[in-house]
Amino acid sequence: MIDVGLLASIAVVLIVPSVFVQPWPKAALAPGLIDVAGGALLAGIAIGRLTAVAIDDPRSLTSLSDLLIIRSGVEFWAGALAGLAWIGFHARRDNVAPTARLAAITTPALVAWASYEATCVLRDGCPGPVSRFGLRPEGLVQTMLPIGLMIAAAAVGAAAVLRWFHRRGLPDSQTFTLALLAVATIRSVASIWLPHIGSGLTRQHQTSIAVAVVALITFVVLRMRGQRHSRLVSS
Amino acid sequence: MEAAEINLSEPGGRTRRARLIAVVALIAIVAYAATRPSNASSFSASGEPVALPTAGELTPLSADEFEGVLVGLRGTPVIVNVWASWCAPCRTEATLLERTWRAHGSEVVILGVASKDIAGSSRSFMDEFGVTYPNVFDASGDIRARLGLRGFPTTYVFGADGVLRTTIVGGLTEQRLAAVLEDVRG
Repeated sequence: MIDVGLLASIAVVLIVPSVFVQPWPKAALAPGLIDVAGGALLAGIAIGRLTAVAIDDPRSLTSLSDLLIIRSGVEFWAGALAGLAWIGFHARRDNVAPTARLAAITTPALVAWASYEATCVLRDGCPGPVSRFGLRPEGLVQTMLPIGLMIAAAAVGAAAVLRWFHRRGLPDSQTFTLALLAVATIRSVASIWLPHIGSGLTRQHQTSIAVAVVALITFVVLRMRGQRHSRLVSS
Repeated sequence: MEAAEINLSEPGGRTRRARLIAVVALIAIVAYAATRPSNASSFSASGEPVALPTAGELTPLSADEFEGVLVGLRGTPVIVNVWASWCAPCRTEATLLERTWRAHGSEVVILGVASKDIAGSSRSFMDEFGVTYPNVFDASGDIRARLGLRGFPTTYVFGADGVLRTTIVGGLTEQRLAAVLEDVRG
């Protein structure tokens, strides 16, 4: 059965950043948009899906048909790591500093993520907690906070802020780390309201918090190093 | 550091055209979302009440007996999940439904319907995933025909009043299932 909602979401993810993020940073484009972004997207989905199956249902690892049902679950952070590794690998191959490429692709990547979250309306993936204000998912009686749309708005805001900082001289490594921190924080906060079965934190909530902590520490260290370096240069 | 920037589409006319095409494509996608057909089925259970099959077992039932089970459960929300051992998304759902049964089994009944399958394979599937919620075996296929099944897996959500509220065709996500639970319990 073809998941039309998911296919439409992927179409939006490909359309929106490539058309509406203008101008594109040159470092993000070489050697080609499809090579970098498309490869990263495919690597991310493949590794994210493999990780989810390995954790939830290892016996399905040998079944291609099971692996291809990506709607059954993709581990976000494993996929993100694979996508970043792909971009870093290509940057090295093109003799571009990986941090420069990663920082350059930050805005389009955040816009792509926001686009995916905004298309939750196509996948019945918007519902948050029951609320007086919000959307009424198909077949349900109560209205629910559209948490997917709120994540999308936060991601677009983060993209705009990071682009502003980067254009005003925030170093590449700090821009990229700040983007990771933004995504992890948005996911951690959103997970508080995402409906889930049972009590306790979900796996994706736990990993998002862990990534946020690591990104925050890394950002602080990079910032302190940068300031120390600036002082040494000026003296 | 600020990276050099370029426009993806030059000259400006091509940029405008690309944006126009993108806007039209996005409007088409949103229109699809707004107008796509509802999955709702008009199924309504009737007949004499029948006792809920023993939890954790795979009980063969006729379509009339299945309807009787739903009639007997009126007063409690019921989530009916039609599955088969060969169905890939059913594997993910099985653990999700089991967690739901353990966490909310006192408020909501989870009822599995194994259909278009071999009883031995269905039983092995239940053992593999440690399924403890009640399941029935649809040997003749009459239950899925009466429910108007269009694909595996499909989940039917009945409110406490016995009315079919929603039909979810395809794999369930935890977010969707949890939202449905909140709705029927609310």
